[in-house]
Amino acid sequence: MLYYLFQCRSLTYAQRTAAALERSGITAHILRSPKSIAGEGCSHSVKVSQRSLTAALQVLHRVGLDPKKIFITAGDGSYREVLM
Amino acid sequence: MIYLDSAATTLQKPPAVAAAAAGAIRGMTTPGRGGHRWAMAAARTAFDCRELAAELFGVHDPDQVVFTFNATHALNLAIRSLVRPGDTVVISGWEHNAVTRPLHAIGDVTVKTAAGPLFDREAALAAFARLIGPEVSAVITTHVSNVFGFVLPVEDIAALCRARGVPLIVDASQSAGCLPVSLEGWGAAFVAMPGHKGLYGPQGTGLLLCAAQTRPLLCGGTGSLSLQQEMPDFLPDRLEAGTHNMPGIAGLLEGLRFVRERGPERIRAREDALLDQMAAGLARLEGAEVFRAPDPSAQAGVLSFRVAGRDCEELGQALSERGVAVRAGLHCAPLAHRSAGTLDTGTVRASVSAFTARTDVQRFLQEMGRLL
Repeated sequence: MLYYLFQCRSLTYAQRTAAALERSGITAHILRSPKSIAGEGCSHSVKVSQRSLTAALQVLHRVGLDPKKIFITAGDGSYREVLM
Repeated sequence: MIYLDSAATTLQKPPAVAAAAAGAIRGMTTPGRGGHRWAMAAARTAFDCRELAAELFGVHDPDQVVFTFNATHALNLAIRSLVRPGDTVVISGWEHNAVTRPLHAIGDVTVKTAAGPLFDREAALAAFARLIGPEVSAVITTHVSNVFGFVLPVEDIAALCRARGVPLIVDASQSAGCLPVSLEGWGAAFVAMPGHKGLYGPQGTGLLLCAAQTRPLLCGGTGSLSLQQEMPDFLPDRLEAGTHNMPGIAGLLEGLRFVRERGPERIRAREDALLDQMAAGLARLEGAEVFRAPDPSAQAGVLSFRVAGRDCEELGQALSERGVAVRAGLHCAPLAHRSAGTLDTGTVRASVSAFTARTDVQRFLQEMGRLL
């Protein structure tokens, strides 16, 4: 299944992101960012389904929690950055 | 034991506090250190605690709520963030050593004291107004004196600081949980508070509410930006190096829930009634000098007294031997005693909480009557 990862600068930021999405009825899960996308080291990401992307971005923009970076899963299990 | 030392630490807590702390020992590790269920359970609890603290204390984002070991730790972070050698700082005449010692340790700081008579809020405000000039780097005031319960006019001091563009640090050690505290409402740079007093959390917990640039005291792992050798530039990670005190934070969350459910106004009203009862009873004892505000709204939670010809520490000890816990001496606040003229004698301090009963005060007064 394809899904998006919203990379967040901190765990607390990821928690705020997930809470905002959940409040709007969008299912969101917090996880440690995969090493391949972690960039400067450890970080956390919020996982949302492919069909929720547009709504999620609208919600996050409205509450001032725009994601740092967005990645999409590729068929081979790798991640590709989605340019906003 | 009759416990009247809540200004140091509240002994009686809501039962959920100890249960949550024990649950955290068994079922939580540390937020941000792993994606497994125990780390995520810790992460959820820490976030819930930040969110609730933000709601209770007028903080916009939970990220601005930083966990500390106690209010002293929080004040050190705030002071070290704003004050450098060569700076000028204005403080109230009622500050604890948790403020004056860090200022002394920085060195070459000019400390101006906004002095005024005990329980005189207008005089306190006028003193701040006189001293806050363009050369001042920061203003630091306690909200409530830990020795006398004097409620400083923080709203007015904050307005003065905003008007003059000077950052404000508020020590809410004695007010958090029983008086309105609002980082945003005051426009303060920092508000510091312990978890183990009026928030009914475990010892070893505190909060720093942040609205200004910060400077870490500790450097180390944060579970974020691990390749970078500088501390992260975002909160709360910037100020939270190392493993969190999750039993404490889990307990503090339950304490905060208790405060929200009971309501700070209701807690304050109950404590005021107890202070009235205590002050009236002590005033009837021969030789007792009771420090009670003429306007009760200028005092919260704490009542100091001394007895002519009696050493305050000996009196405190005698009460302890009779099953009454109070605090005697200088209460780590020599500046407050100097301001009130009690530096030579010290005082005996009795302080209450949401769990203090009228019968506790009656028993205390009975024992005082037997001792004098």
